[in-house]
Amino acid sequence: MFGAAAPTTCHSPITAFCSPITTLPSFSSRKLASPVAAVGVTNNPRRLTLKCCRVSSSTLSQNPKPPSNLLKNLAKTIAGATTVTLILNLSNFPAFIGGGGSSGGAGGFGGGGGSNGGGDGGFWRRLFRPKVANADEPQSQQEWDSHGLPANIVVQLNKLSGFKKYKVSEIWFFDRRRRCTVGTDDSFFEMVSLRAGSVYTKAQLQKELEALANCGMFEKVDLEGKTNPDGTLGVTISFTESTWQSADKFRCINVGLMGQSKPIEMDWDMTDKEKLEYFRNQEKDYKRRMERARPCLLPAPVQREVLLMLREQGKVSARLLQRIRDRVQKWYQDEGYACAQVVNFGNLNTKEVVCEVVEGDITQLLILFQDKLGNFVQGNTQIRVVQRELPKQLRPGYVFNIEAGKQALRNINSLGLFSNIEVNPRPDEKNEGGIIVEIKLKELEQKTAEVSTQWSIVPGHGGYPTLASLQPGGTVTFEHRNLNGLNRSILGSVTTSNFYNPHDDLAFKLEYVHPYLDGVYNPRDRTLRVSCFNSRKLSPVFTGGPGDDEVPPIWVDRAGMKANITENFNRQNKFTYGLVMEEITTRDERNHICSNGQRVLPIGGVSDDGPPTTLSGTGIDRMVFLQSNITRDNTKFVNGTIVGERNMFQVDQGLGVGSKFPFFNRHQLTLTRFLQLKEVEEGAGKPPPPVLVLHGHYGGCVGDLPIYDAFTLGGPYSVRGYNMGEIGAARHILELAAELRIPVKGTHVYAFAEHGNDLGTSKDVKGNPTEVYRRVGHGSSYGVGVKLGLVRAEYVVDHNSGSGSVFFRFGERF
Amino acid sequence: MASQIIREWLGINSFAPATQTKLLELLGKLNQENVNSLTILVMGKGGVGKSSTVNSLIGERAVSISPFQSEGTRAVMVSRSRAGFTLNIIDTPGLIEGGYVNDMALNNIKSFLLNKTIDVLLYVDRLDAYRVDNLDREVVKAITDTFGKGIWNRALVVLTHAQLSPPDGLPYDEFVSKRSEALLKAVRLGAGLRRQEAQGSAIPVVLVENSGRCNKNEKDEKVLPNGTAWIPHVVQTITEVILGGSKSIFVDQKLIEGPNPNARRKFLIPIILVLQYFFVVKPIERQIKSDIARESRPSWEMRDTGSRKY
Repeated sequence: MFGAAAPTTCHSPITAFCSPITTLPSFSSRKLASPVAAVGVTNNPRRLTLKCCRVSSSTLSQNPKPPSNLLKNLAKTIAGATTVTLILNLSNFPAFIGGGGSSGGAGGFGGGGGSNGGGDGGFWRRLFRPKVANADEPQSQQEWDSHGLPANIVVQLNKLSGFKKYKVSEIWFFDRRRRCTVGTDDSFFEMVSLRAGSVYTKAQLQKELEALANCGMFEKVDLEGKTNPDGTLGVTISFTESTWQSADKFRCINVGLMGQSKPIEMDWDMTDKEKLEYFRNQEKDYKRRMERARPCLLPAPVQREVLLMLREQGKVSARLLQRIRDRVQKWYQDEGYACAQVVNFGNLNTKEVVCEVVEGDITQLLILFQDKLGNFVQGNTQIRVVQRELPKQLRPGYVFNIEAGKQALRNINSLGLFSNIEVNPRPDEKNEGGIIVEIKLKELEQKTAEVSTQWSIVPGHGGYPTLASLQPGGTVTFEHRNLNGLNRSILGSVTTSNFYNPHDDLAFKLEYVHPYLDGVYNPRDRTLRVSCFNSRKLSPVFTGGPGDDEVPPIWVDRAGMKANITENFNRQNKFTYGLVMEEITTRDERNHICSNGQRVLPIGGVSDDGPPTTLSGTGIDRMVFLQSNITRDNTKFVNGTIVGERNMFQVDQGLGVGSKFPFFNRHQLTLTRFLQLKEVEEGAGKPPPPVLVLHGHYGGCVGDLPIYDAFTLGGPYSVRGYNMGEIGAARHILELAAELRIPVKGTHVYAFAEHGNDLGTSKDVKGNPTEVYRRVGHGSSYGVGVKLGLVRAEYVVDHNSGSGSVFFRFGERF
Repeated sequence: MASQIIREWLGINSFAPATQTKLLELLGKLNQENVNSLTILVMGKGGVGKSSTVNSLIGERAVSISPFQSEGTRAVMVSRSRAGFTLNIIDTPGLIEGGYVNDMALNNIKSFLLNKTIDVLLYVDRLDAYRVDNLDREVVKAITDTFGKGIWNRALVVLTHAQLSPPDGLPYDEFVSKRSEALLKAVRLGAGLRRQEAQGSAIPVVLVENSGRCNKNEKDEKVLPNGTAWIPHVVQTITEVILGGSKSIFVDQKLIEGPNPNARRKFLIPIILVLQYFFVVKPIERQIKSDIARESRPSWEMRDTGSRKY
């Protein structure tokens, strides 16, 4: 099972928590990691049926915690109000293999096989052996009996007493062909369920031997005990490996959904001719089966690798087949095909080895809604909304891939509609070898309302906080989401930082979001947003230059309506266009509407005849304009460092509607390049590459330019080392920046240089605020910094004054 | 202010007879050229003797002068008429306050001058100041920014406190020429005039001595140390400038506010918008499309073509 949890509010990458769903905790992890292979009767000279019984396909995880615990833990650690639980379930696949007896029917034919008959039983026993082993487990805690024999003598299995419980202290494997003892690292070791230190009865040991004999790996296998002085038993399993003709071709086919070939009962009294006939039929059947089978996903390089293994080996041995099986299965596991299994090797004793794989073909995709108690209900969300988020690789006809499942989880989570999302592949009972992908969703409440309060300390007189400057503030939010089941939503919020004086800074927002504007069946993804808003900002235009910091501030209040359409090309690239209607009010420190900026006179007085704050000259402007923004972002993360390009172009086009009929074209273009300076190997824990960031920003305006829309230079997102607007405010600006990032011990240090220039257009802003507030109009800075988690600590030298200072800032500059 | 009563120019009578004759002769000359009114704008730094010069030219105490205080921030127009000829002299407050150009004073002057025609600018400074600094340039720049470069074709540089004995035994004429040369250079730089422009119409320099202890010649005229009677000389230079052919400056709203940057190239906006759409937005959109096409997909997405049917 794969589970993930992420808070709804943030788009953090989904973290994976793994836990096996197995209910057999007594299995050693070693057992889990390598599926138990059970082989039917191997008497058939042409064909070996390798039955793979994956006890649990959760080789992804070794975490023994049961899932319920895990979720509980998660809930504890997150401890948030809203969480989304994402679960990708990979439940038990207790073998899709039905017709285990297919080759069993061939038992009795003397061929390469060693042991005789009873193949079916052997297989099934092998299949169920995990449970048997499980049942054995408690016995290890029990008392055991001494063998009661003289020490250091070899005892045959059938000489052991049926009433005693023997403690097995050691287990050896003896390869008769190689005439040596093989270690526990041998691939055969995993075939044996006996474990040193456990207690077994004679019957259990016999069963074990029988199982080994029937698994098809061995031509011959024996078990004998050696008595130890302390009453325990040392067990030696001696075996001869099965081998077949050498092969020089390899083929891999997908036999999923084909069903197993039906066993044909063979009459033991058949004549030789009949036997031959039967044999031919079987061969023909197999050929037909191979033709019918679809090609598998196994890529040519891996097939070549396997072929190389075959050629090197010469004779095809059981060990080799085991290795091939492991190699093939490893590839499937590594690529995320969690349901894929090698079920059979056919065509043995010919030139070609055929590897039969059940890949896990999806036969059905189910989207189910659950209520809080987990009952299946009719969901409010329209199925199509979920469906369009699913990668097509989860649709019937594709092979189930865990990565596609994860992608589905992420995509569905980004809808923000569900509190719990499970992607759960399960075997299709009706369609053998098929997989049904179940997506279980728990919907969030449609209507939510939230009130949050906070206290804030505001700077008092002289910039120092005082007790009296403690302010109560808060936010009231309501949301009605997923209207009509189409993810439409209405959101409203009111925020104030001061309940004593809410009219001071009351911020409100009312937004209606209408996704799938072109219809939910249309792949084009456009979203309509209509919102009412207000905002209040300190204008950086009214900022003093160096050594002139006593500029009376001007607040710019905006309130209005906006309607825009966002076309999402994909997650990062979007194109937005719409209409904005707003009223802009400029206010002075005392919150009075003002029409001109103030300035401090050289003699010390303050005059009100600074640059005009609005276009209309009254302190209140109303305007309607078109706004359009296109963002191209192909950045990606290389070992945690951003690499790629980002371009942004924005145009505000005045329509001549509003105070003084504002007609303007205000545009800005931002180009940012993150150049990777060195090729690095990608992977978790690998060091990120050094990166050179180049950044340019041009802003310009033709036509009516109210002062609050003038482009300002200086500030943490413009030219570092200066205050906001300290360099100037102009009609056209150009900013250039370069930053070199060198990774150091899990973080990075950087050096940068930036320049901002008004291109001589400060005078083209009415009132020339750059000159009035004694600013230079251009400025450079350079500095070095280090990234400490989310904080950037940097030392910047401001080139205009030549003085350096240290800054701590949150977030990224670019 | 505008509706100020135009008084008879009585002050002319206080001049020496020789000066009176000369002045009337000059005014008559102007009358002949169909010029029957003359507006003189007096500007300069604070405390250089602008108001005193105005008073000296009018011949009466028309504007109050205070030796140690700034004159306030208002401009004053003194109008006198004589024989159908009107003389307007506009006295302005000092433009420098605390080491900076006083923008407020400048704005006041601007609004005072609205809808008036300036025939002559008298840029006043002291003769006995030895150094020319940035501040002079700033003042000149402020004047230029307000009225345009053309004002300097109608300008006179007036040097007050002309009755002095030059330091280091320098000859008076040499001192005067050096001082005026330095000041003219500052004016040229401040006004942003090119050398040829400045050469073509050299700004005349006149000397003024407003003190009551000013030396007088045998005709009781106020004379400078070099022997020139300065009042007739000033008026004569003004007349020459007026008759020099250049245009007088009419101060209208547009001149005061300067060119409106908001109106510039406004007609280009539709074209700009179209260009932006086709040459910026569209290429970015194309780039996005090609990015998406080139995007490296995980192998599992590529491998499985899903061609199976059930």
